[in-house]
Amino acid sequence: MSSADNPFKNSDGTELSCIQMLNLILDGDASPEQHQYFKKHLEECMPCYKSHELDIAIRDLLKVKCSGNHVPDDLVNRIKTASQKNNNGR
Amino acid sequence: MEESKKQDYSEKEKLEIFNNEFLPHINSMYNFGYRLTLDEDDAKDLVQDTYLKSFRFIESFQKGTNAKAWLFRILKNSFINDYRKRSKEPSKVDYQDVESYYNSDDVDRQITTDLRVETLQDMIGDEISNALNSLDVDFRTVIILCDLEGFKYDEMAKILDIPIGTVRSRLHRARNLLKEKLSDYAKKMGYKN
Repeated sequence: MSSADNPFKNSDGTELSCIQMLNLILDGDASPEQHQYFKKHLEECMPCYKSHELDIAIRDLLKVKCSGNHVPDDLVNRIKTASQKNNNGR
Repeated sequence: MEESKKQDYSEKEKLEIFNNEFLPHINSMYNFGYRLTLDEDDAKDLVQDTYLKSFRFIESFQKGTNAKAWLFRILKNSFINDYRKRSKEPSKVDYQDVESYYNSDDVDRQITTDLRVETLQDMIGDEISNALNSLDVDFRTVIILCDLEGFKYDEMAKILDIPIGTVRSRLHRARNLLKEKLSDYAKKMGYKN
């Protein structure tokens, strides 16, 4: 892949590092063109390939283990009551 | 956030927005509140306070825009302005110190962890939650917003009132710190990594 084909560039024209590319991809901020380029890059770059797998696993684990705080039932009622009181009190 | 132009809503419209656009995010809001305060009662107070503010300032919200980001921004501001001030937490690490410490390294350094995917998959307890909770709140926040809530960089920049470049670098540092913590846990679990 030549540098001219690299769609990962800073505003000053310098190329993004592997980790910067990886983060853009995994955070959903990359363009389709960047996705395509990165897919090819993964086949050639072992550190990126390993980081990619690991970062996906960490994100998955975070979602499973850290999203499960279900809101206490009484909180929704407390909020609804308080907001209605506020509204009527104007 | 879309709050420059004041809207003129009827009382019925306000309730509709509140019930249909704001309340559906309550689980995410509670999780965010809990991850910031690390206390269930404080999280409840913070979320209730945020929702009451959202109702009070509902005319600053433009119907159909990103309600979740708008609410998260209010919660984050309430946390900084109200909760942190009265918090009895031991003195916080000064954020500037943290930022300059990590800035002293190459921002884009790729940490040399040999943490393995298989090791992570064996972490079926609270290791990741404890690792996340142990990060400084500013680093914890970017991971929550990005990885748990799926906000984009530009949305995070608005929620946190920081430039997109800072979002990126803070997120990068936060992830490196999280990996280091996980790597420590892995060692404690007896993995040689």
